[in-house]
Amino acid sequence: MSLISIHVNNQAFEIEIDDRMSLADFLRNTINLTGTHLACELGVCGSCTVLVNDEPIRSCITLAASVSGMSVQTIEGFEEDSKMKVIRECFSEAHGLQCGFCTPGMLITVRDMIIRDKCKTENQIRKELSGNLCRCTGYAGIVKATELAIQRINNQEDHFVGQGKI
Amino acid sequence: MKSGKVNYHSVHSIDEAITLSQTHEGNVKYIAGGQSLTPMMNLRLIFSEEIIDISKIQELKQSYFFQGRFFIGAAVTHAMIEDGKVNDPTNGYLQYVAQGIAYRGVRNKGTIGGSIVNADPAADWPTALLALGASVMIKDLTNDIETPIGHFQCGLMQTTLKESDLVKGVLVPDLSKDAKWSYVKFCHKVGEFAHSIAAIVIDPNLGIFNAALGAAGDKPILLPRLSEYLKSVNISNNDFEIELNDILERDLLENINHLPSSYEFNLHRSIIKKAVMEALIK
Amino acid sequence: MDKPGKGVGARILRKEDARHLHGKGQFVSDIQIPGIIEVAFVRSSYAHGIIKNIQIPDEFKDKVFQASDFPNVKPIIAVPKVDGFKYSEHPALAFDRVRFAGEPIAMAIGANRSIAEDIADSVYVDIEELPAVVDLLEATQSDSPLIREEWGDNIYVSKHSQYGDIELAQQQAAVRIERSFKMNRQSAAPLEGRAILAMWDHRLNELVVYIGSQSPHQTRVGMAQALGIDENQLHLITPDMGGAFGAKRVLYPEELMVVALALKLKKPVRWIDDKREHLMTAIHCREHHHKVIAYADSQGKILGLDVDIHVDAGAYSHWPNGPFMETGMASRNIPGPYVVPNYRVKTFTVATNKSPIGAYRGVARPAACFTIERIIDEIAHAVGREPYMVRMENMVPEESMPYRNITNLLFDSGNYAESVRRAAELIEFQKIRLRQQNGEKDGRLIGVGFASFTEQTAHGCGEWVSRGVPVIPGYETASARMMTDGSLIISVGIVSHGQGMETSLAQVACEELGIDPIHVSIRHGDTQTSAFGMGTFASRSMVMAGGAVAKACRLLKSKIGVIAAHLLGCQLQDLSFEDDLIHGPTSSIALKEVARIAHLRQEALPKGIDPLLEVLVTYEPNIDTGVFTYATQVAVVAVDVDTGKVDILDYAIVEDCGTVVNPLIVDGQIIGGIAQGIGTALYEEIPYNENGQPLATTLADYLIPGATEIPAIKIGHMVSPSEHTEYGMKGMGEGGAIAPPAAIANAIRDALKSLGAELNETPMTPPRVYAAIMKAKGKLSKSSEVTL
Repeated sequence: MSLISIHVNNQAFEIEIDDRMSLADFLRNTINLTGTHLACELGVCGSCTVLVNDEPIRSCITLAASVSGMSVQTIEGFEEDSKMKVIRECFSEAHGLQCGFCTPGMLITVRDMIIRDKCKTENQIRKELSGNLCRCTGYAGIVKATELAIQRINNQEDHFVGQGKI
Repeated sequence: MKSGKVNYHSVHSIDEAITLSQTHEGNVKYIAGGQSLTPMMNLRLIFSEEIIDISKIQELKQSYFFQGRFFIGAAVTHAMIEDGKVNDPTNGYLQYVAQGIAYRGVRNKGTIGGSIVNADPAADWPTALLALGASVMIKDLTNDIETPIGHFQCGLMQTTLKESDLVKGVLVPDLSKDAKWSYVKFCHKVGEFAHSIAAIVIDPNLGIFNAALGAAGDKPILLPRLSEYLKSVNISNNDFEIELNDILERDLLENINHLPSSYEFNLHRSIIKKAVMEALIK
Repeated sequence: MDKPGKGVGARILRKEDARHLHGKGQFVSDIQIPGIIEVAFVRSSYAHGIIKNIQIPDEFKDKVFQASDFPNVKPIIAVPKVDGFKYSEHPALAFDRVRFAGEPIAMAIGANRSIAEDIADSVYVDIEELPAVVDLLEATQSDSPLIREEWGDNIYVSKHSQYGDIELAQQQAAVRIERSFKMNRQSAAPLEGRAILAMWDHRLNELVVYIGSQSPHQTRVGMAQALGIDENQLHLITPDMGGAFGAKRVLYPEELMVVALALKLKKPVRWIDDKREHLMTAIHCREHHHKVIAYADSQGKILGLDVDIHVDAGAYSHWPNGPFMETGMASRNIPGPYVVPNYRVKTFTVATNKSPIGAYRGVARPAACFTIERIIDEIAHAVGREPYMVRMENMVPEESMPYRNITNLLFDSGNYAESVRRAAELIEFQKIRLRQQNGEKDGRLIGVGFASFTEQTAHGCGEWVSRGVPVIPGYETASARMMTDGSLIISVGIVSHGQGMETSLAQVACEELGIDPIHVSIRHGDTQTSAFGMGTFASRSMVMAGGAVAKACRLLKSKIGVIAAHLLGCQLQDLSFEDDLIHGPTSSIALKEVARIAHLRQEALPKGIDPLLEVLVTYEPNIDTGVFTYATQVAVVAVDVDTGKVDILDYAIVEDCGTVVNPLIVDGQIIGGIAQGIGTALYEEIPYNENGQPLATTLADYLIPGATEIPAIKIGHMVSPSEHTEYGMKGMGEGGAIAPPAAIANAIRDALKSLGAELNETPMTPPRVYAAIMKAKGKLSKSSEVTL
């Protein structure tokens, strides 16, 4: 058992946990954030993707104890995020989700791709998405949503720059 | 697929790690990124009671030039190398290898040290570092040891590490400006483990002529004839292709356990050839 | 093609997106219940054996449950009403014999899954190993070990059919093509596995079961029967479900036992299928072996087909349908969309020591399509003509519709040949032929391949009866309840789990009542709030449930109309329903006003009209032979002859599913289906070793295509509205998955034409492609062997 201190979606938690508990299980079962999903538990499918210190990682193969002292952001923690708002709209418009199971991990990955500017071509987008499996959509809607989102986000930011706000 | 019971320890120095390991008579697993270890724990293929997290040891995250070579700490992640957060003294070779490992989510946590200690012949770093002629820096109870990576990985998922030994990092050469390299791997699906890996590094100034083949046996190997051939090869030579084919055939016959008529043999030959052409045309 | 507005044909965004985009979906594993008990199954490590002993450590004796703890639970019995189908029972927990690796033997419980797995690991099952029956052809040999001695062989059922005169075809033929085709075993592998949570509700005196199920009403029937309890005490609810594709349509032994345990303990019990369990023990699919002799004339016109079909059905028969549908559908669909005058077919549904099969998207049609589409191409090659032309000429022409094909499928409408022509256009066929002449810089060989098919959808009672299924899903239901404020709750018997029916069915309501979909709540998956319905599978939901919703809304509409006409002082026939209003010739009234009066102001109702606005209907299309969607898919591939790697350079589909309710959703289903078809074609396989051990049981070995493996897909639509359904719509959910293996195999054949290499086995992995090339180089005769 270990006592961990962890910030999740800007809320501080200090909880004693079983050492073998994955971050995914901690989020889902201990603090009831069930938006992060478990599918393969091997780190292949990406459904469990969350941000730890702003970087996307697979929470199913991350020990909760190992992120003590760090900051975690799950799908529930992006309500105020302006990029995520645009990405969500685009996913809906481009039909980038069907059953919704891969969607939280997918959204977090896409947002990270946009931030790192890895969406220059369709091929690059697909390569960056390769770690997030979807069994329903065949990826077309997800790729389209990403292309749409990056256009809109860039326009937004240009708009702000143009208005003298940076 | 939930892991068996473990005890988790987080340490902040190499000495702390080794001392703790000794306390448990070496029945420990060091964990850095955990991208190989934790899946095996979830599958209950590993039953390690004591898990020592070394990912927070600052010394293992460093990278710096050291006596003409470049040291990369064991806990440096693939993403750090991909993003250029670590100096790349290999003309982009390290960065190229890093960006092709698995997926970004894995690269954010997976480490170069973890990869070579896991010693999977189908993983990227073991073969890539072999072609560079890299060395592994190991701390055992008393000493700092440097082992050439070719000796370090001695079998399938096996290294020369003894109980409690900790890999501090790798030492790679500072390649010359005109050094050439290529790295080609063959996967059925992007991001999965390779079925063949060919890595070529040619740096005449440093005397490096290495052709390495991975995912062809228990561990990555240097192809001796091809490596030798790289010293004098001339791609515009009329006989180049014939010579190359002959050398590849012999190297493979002598060094891998696949029949010449087999798919694997031909795959490896095809991938190595591709790597040679890519390296020489640069 | 998109219609304006929000009714049928409009491209409106999905209502269900809201919760999923915010991580607020509710899947079974998300439900938090205090005191929940998690289950881990103890499973057989052997493929075939006799259980000698189950040893449970003393400290866990009250935490492990085996068959003997449930004397009242009956075995699952699924015996289709098909002549000669052999009887077998499927005990939910094995107690004397195990017949596939992973078969459940006992249940371990714990406060969480980790603990339950610790306890499961401590249980030792002593099994005396028996030889495993693994190869589906060897299983039929007389010297094969038997999975059930009382059968005398390993064949669930065998059926021989003859249509026309195959000997005549043989005599007339100028061309004779003999081939074997094999599709290897795979899993449906939805991203979310099986999941069930059962708990006793003391107030309502019922067992509440949250379950990922495509047919909760049907599953309830099977559960109640096996448990010996009244159905009114069993309340199944399917919340959100992370995909299913057929994997969640059967009653699994694990699910039955979780319910039994919850009844026994009177505590909440949950089991979440992990990916390894799923790949090993959830339905398997696709494993077909077809041997074909095809006869054609010198122009490539099919004269006859002589086919042997073997399907590896695994160790048990899943409830409700058992495995017969696989050979049945294969035999009926091998003639494809073609005029086939003579046909002889022998089918064998074979038992082996592998996980039992189920109906995965497309069911047997991907295998049937693989066979007939490869055969058409071989006929074309034999007569020296373009495959797509030979294809078109053999197709049932539009003017012959409705056309009863040789296996008694009634093709209702469509222009099959036109779909081929348009697909060739979409893929820019001539450009590809030119490109092939020029060769590729990287030395790869490129090729183009077609595959066409029909997809029988929304078939009704008669068709299901003829298939011998024990439960006949020939109708659907809908209840429509308008609230006092005019908002609408529609409860349906299907289960939307990605198909967007919370949106498309609301569009139907809008079409009928002029009500904004935002005011329409579609409820599905809850056996207590919806009337009995059959569920979502067989590409039936939009037609069946859509038809039921339309019918229900029309009934409401007529009552609302009578009330509105009375209130507006006009005639019923002068009314129109639009934008949440009912318009008369001179004045209008809001839908919600009528609703208020109908519930709260009874005195204002016309004479003879009762209060309330609520109806319940059943619906079936006016034919039960199904409405046939059809499509042609075409793939362009590049083959690396050194490594065997196949890359898809381009992919197109031209399809006709009649009237499209929501183009966004239909395109999504097409692309998703094609992605799964590409998985079957190139990546997905669960091989078994000679001991019956599955060799791909994690997503590290079982390769599901990612975004880099699925190309962008060009889609063309044709619309032949059906005469037999509401709005002329047809089902289309499975079609995408049917043709890719055939299209890609034909494209590879085209690419390797100069070498004469053929791929007749899926998945067409690099080693198999390479082996086919080597074989062609070594033997220049036409192959009749299965490669690798």
